Amino acid sequence: MQNDILSILNESEGLNAKVFSLVRLKLLASLATLGPDGATYRELKAALDINDGVLFANLNVLKDMGYLTSEKITSEGKELELYSITTEGQDEWKRTKTWLCRFLHCGA
Amino acid sequence: MEKRKKVIAFFKELGFEFDISRFDDRLIAQKLVCLLELRGIDLGYSCSLYVRGPYSPDLTQDLYAFTNEFENLETGSRLNTLEKEAAGELGRIFGLKPVPLEVGATYGYYALRQNSDPLEASRQVKRLKPFYSEAQIALGISKAKQFLYKPTQKDLEELKKETGIWQRASLKTLEH
Repeated sequence: MQNDILSILNESEGLNAKVFSLVRLKLLASLATLGPDGATYRELKAALDINDGVLFANLNVLKDMGYLTSEKITSEGKELELYSITTEGQDEWKRTKTWLCRFLHCGA
Repeated sequence: MEKRKKVIAFFKELGFEFDISRFDDRLIAQKLVCLLELRGIDLGYSCSLYVRGPYSPDLTQDLYAFTNEFENLETGSRLNTLEKEAAGELGRIFGLKPVPLEVGATYGYYALRQNSDPLEASRQVKRLKPFYSEAQIALGISKAKQFLYKPTQKDLEELKKETGIWQRASLKTLEH
């Protein structure tokens, strides 16, 4: 693997450019650590401080790309929406993170 | 022995019948472990702050990789006296109720791991868990304090001084 900047920039062609928005990166990073356990909509909204419109739209984009799944669950008698990352989502997040680290020279 | 065996021993002691398909059970498992870690019991699953509050991704990994062991409470590990005492208090104070456990673990994390003062820790809990009512948050925090803080000798003496006057008065009432 080459380390010159041009090679690193060219490696980005293997990435999904649609992932590169702050909200989507925050969502993937958050959900990747939780694995199949996932997080509810209300937990994501509160912890990441994202408003409803933006959160809902971006969760749907990630779902449409096959990176997230959602299901209805019941917690303490309340129906909630649970989001978890898929295997494709984990793979894309790993690729993105590795590339970002190389790009920023943080040792990955 | 694998670290999960000790956690299973705690589940057994608490009478917690874990079912991985239930969201609340996965939440309870996480918060029980984080509260025990905060109390100083080293289970090997360190908790950090994630979107779900204090949480251990290592534990999630084990819950899914060894589901049968957790669901059937398979363990050869035994709790020592101190651990049994902690499990007893955890069960008595929190029960196996997700909301107080979640609020309590979050408060404990801010207060003990991030050294926030009580007011700041409460503020952080409200910020991270705004979907819980004031009453639910107050109850969870009070339970966390009960579980995580042992009163010092000085605390006990001050309490005795404060309540002594009432105790004497009530004893006097009984004399009549």
